Amino acid sequence: MNTVQVNNVQVEGETMIDDHRPRTWVLDATDIARVAVFVALMAALGLPGAFSVFGSVPITAQTFGVMLAGAILGPRLGALCMIVFLALVAVGLPLLAGGRGGVSWFVAPSAGYLFGWIAGALVVGLIVHASARKPAVWRIAIGMVVGGILVVYAVGIPVRSLIEGLSLGQIALLNLVFVPMDLVKAALATMTIATLLRAYPRAFRRTWLSPREPNPVSVTAAQ
Amino acid sequence: MLTLYRPGDGPWHRLTAGRKSAVLGLIVLGVSVVPASWWGAALTAGVCLACYAVRGAGMGALVRQGIAIRWILAVTLAGQLLFLGAETGVANTVRICAAVVISGLLALTTPVSELLEALERGLSPLARLRVDPQRAALTIAVTLSTLPVLVRLEREVREAQNARGGGRSLRLFAIPFLVVSLKHADALGDALTARGVR
Repeated sequence: MNTVQVNNVQVEGETMIDDHRPRTWVLDATDIARVAVFVALMAALGLPGAFSVFGSVPITAQTFGVMLAGAILGPRLGALCMIVFLALVAVGLPLLAGGRGGVSWFVAPSAGYLFGWIAGALVVGLIVHASARKPAVWRIAIGMVVGGILVVYAVGIPVRSLIEGLSLGQIALLNLVFVPMDLVKAALATMTIATLLRAYPRAFRRTWLSPREPNPVSVTAAQ
Repeated sequence: MLTLYRPGDGPWHRLTAGRKSAVLGLIVLGVSVVPASWWGAALTAGVCLACYAVRGAGMGALVRQGIAIRWILAVTLAGQLLFLGAETGVANTVRICAAVVISGLLALTTPVSELLEALERGLSPLARLRVDPQRAALTIAVTLSTLPVLVRLEREVREAQNARGGGRSLRLFAIPFLVVSLKHADALGDALTARGVR
C-alpha cells in the first residue's frame, strides 16, 4: 500500500514546463516509438536516389538526419537514436548512405564521424532545448553548426588521423572538403526546424514558454 | 529487408558469430601492425586475398567489397600520396582497405538474425548501467519493424513531391516527411501503450 502511494506522489511531482520526466530516466512507449521512427528516418535519408541541393549537387542526407534527431528528440533520445542506428549498422543492416553497412565501417577512416553522430545529436539537442523558451533561429543555427558539424569533426578527425597515420593538422586540412556541404545541411536543418516549430509544434513534445512570458525560474528567484 | 548476407557453407559460414568476430578482429589487428612498406603492402594484400579465397566467400565477393569502398580508397589514397609519398601512402591505403574488406566478411557470411541475437545477449551488462536490457531489446525490435514503414512513407512523400514538380530537393521534402513520420511515431507509441508497454 505504502509503495503505491509513494509512486503516485512521484508521478504527480512532474512539472509541465520543464523537461517533464522523473529524475531516473525510464524509456516509455512514446520514447521507444520516437527513437524507432528516427532511426528509420535516418535510414530512409540514406536510401539510394540521393537528394540534391541547388538543383544538381547530390548529397547524402544522413548528417542532416543527425541534426534533426538532436533538435526534435532532444539530447538524450537523439543520442540514443544514433546508438541504436549504429548498432543496427554493426550487425550488418545496410542502413548507411548508399546501402552500406556491417562492422567494417567501424574500422574505416570515416568511423570517427559515425561515433561523432552520437555526441553530435546530443549537443544539438542540448543547445536547441537549452531553455524553457521556444528556440530562436540563431540558437537553432548555433546548435546545428556546433553539434552537427564541429562536434562530429571533433570525434571524426582524431580517429581518422589515428587510422590513416597522418597528423591532426593534415587531416583537418583534408576535412575542409566536407565543410561547404555540411554548412548547407546545417542551414537546411535550421530552416526545417524553424518551420516545424511553427507548423507542427507537437513534434517537440514539450511546452515552450512564449517569448513574452517571464521566466518562472527568475520569478521564483526574485521572490 | 535486403541485407549484406550471402548464404553459403564455407568455413566462414560455419564459424559461430562470436568466434568469427574474434578471428576477424585478430586478423585486422595483425594487418594494422604490418610496417608501411612495399613488402608490407604485398603481405597485407595477400592476407586479404587468402581470407576471400575460401569456399563461401570467393573473388566475386572481394570485387564487390572493393566496389563498395571505392570512395574510401580514392579519398584515402589522395590524402596519403599528398602528405606521405608513394611507398608509405600506398602501404597505408592497402592496410586500411584490407581492414575494411576483411571485417566485411562478418556481415557477408553471418545472417543478421544471428548477429542480432548476439547483440541482444550482449545487452545484459547494461543492467549495471541502470538500463533495462529488455527495454533496449524492445527498442531494437520496434525499430526493425519500423524501417520498412519509413521507407514506404519516404516513397509516398517523394512521389507526391514529384507530382507537384518538386524534383529531388531536400528542402521541400523535409517538412512533409518529418510531419508524416512523427504522426506515425505518435500512432506507434499509442499502439505500444495499448499493448501494455508503459
